[in-house]
Amino acid sequence: MDPALVPALTLLGALLALDGTALGQFMVSRPLVAGTLAGWILGDPVLGLTVGCVLEIYLLPIFPVGGAQFPEGGPAAVVGVAAAAVVPGPGGLALGTALGLAWSQLGARSIRFVRKINGRLTPDPSEGEVSPTRVVWGHLGALGLDFLRGGTLTLVGLGVAGVFAPLLRGSWSLGMPATLALLTLGASIPAGALLTSLGGWKRRGWVAGAGFLGLLLGGVLL
Amino acid sequence: MKKTGTGSRLRAFLRSFLIQGSWNYRTMLGGGFAFAILPVLKRLYRDDPEGFRQALQRHSEHFNAHPYLADLALGATCRMEEEGRDPEEIRRFKVAVRGPLGSLGDALVWVGWRPATVLVALALALAGAPPWVVVVTFLGIYNAGHLFLRIWGFRQGLERSSRVGDALRYLALPRQADRLAGLAALLLGGVGGLALARSLDQGPQALLWAGLAGLGVWAGSRMGERGWSPGLWGTVVVTGVIFLFGWFA
Repeated sequence: MDPALVPALTLLGALLALDGTALGQFMVSRPLVAGTLAGWILGDPVLGLTVGCVLEIYLLPIFPVGGAQFPEGGPAAVVGVAAAAVVPGPGGLALGTALGLAWSQLGARSIRFVRKINGRLTPDPSEGEVSPTRVVWGHLGALGLDFLRGGTLTLVGLGVAGVFAPLLRGSWSLGMPATLALLTLGASIPAGALLTSLGGWKRRGWVAGAGFLGLLLGGVLL
Repeated sequence: MKKTGTGSRLRAFLRSFLIQGSWNYRTMLGGGFAFAILPVLKRLYRDDPEGFRQALQRHSEHFNAHPYLADLALGATCRMEEEGRDPEEIRRFKVAVRGPLGSLGDALVWVGWRPATVLVALALALAGAPPWVVVVTFLGIYNAGHLFLRIWGFRQGLERSSRVGDALRYLALPRQADRLAGLAALLLGGVGGLALARSLDQGPQALLWAGLAGLGVWAGSRMGERGWSPGLWGTVVVTGVIFLFGWFA
């Protein structure tokens, strides 16, 4: 990984962290978008999209409901793609997925930490008078903190990828077909979890019918 | 009724995009709601500092909703403030809508709309579309729905005031959420079929892996969302073990 690209990737991670919850939620922070953007910066958008899509399937069944702790896909996808770019071939894909998933879980913990600090930054009307200055600066301060959190998380991840990924070059024992099969097998579990959220086995007929149609369409087109 | 003008309302709407900016475990969206409604309150209470102080105090209280549907509550609250409604009535309104706006938004957007649009993008990626086509298609479709929901919600809130429940009933959002979930289930099947079609050139082994993937889907469906979350760490560990195996091989 070219060290000159680290600032751009860190900035991307920070902005993606903001999109995840605090700013707009336009879903630029979804792994498939975040991974592709990171891939563009690194000069390989196809690799970025591939790692992003794999991470997307793994994270898709998890919803940011209420105060639940949920894995964060944006900065994680940047770190995953950066790691995948260091190790060529199937090993890169596996490493990018694993590191991306680990970083998504660390992202979840960092969000929880920042939300606790936000509780002190924002005014609590039960504890005294609320001023407009406190409302505005408390809110903007929390946004700035989230930006810093995303940037730091990404920068540390890039450091880990930069140091450890070169050491793992050549140590992945599986070829590309077996690696893809293994990742697909792993992805089938979150796909099942998503199916439960989408109505479960009562919709199995629809899923099977659409699967058959997809198979036919894929057989003709691909 | 005192009107605040289009400028203040527009600023409140634009600020609602940041409504989750200071999400915390004490007041949840409370700080964000106060931040968003501030331009309207400043305009309404410009000659009444005590009224402004009290209004800001009550809008900083605990509030929660789905971030997109929070615009519905924000619009309605702006209108109720303009109408000079009793503060206790406004407080009761916000308490009453936060639960339904949260659960409806979660079902409609997180469970229905987002997976459906992501699966469209994944289908395009599997079909070999260029990365920019996949990304632009996903962001375009997703945000068309996202922005519609925000704008519709804010306008309905401003028009209907505390009667926003009528708008929700008119659109029958729970039924729409169920339809979207059905659409996402169809797309999930389609993406699975496309993935299988792509792997068939690997020979008979592909069928074995497909069979195992079928078992994986079954296992995942038994786990559900809550069960799968720790599974992410499991995947990291399995990948790490394979790396180590390769390291020593």
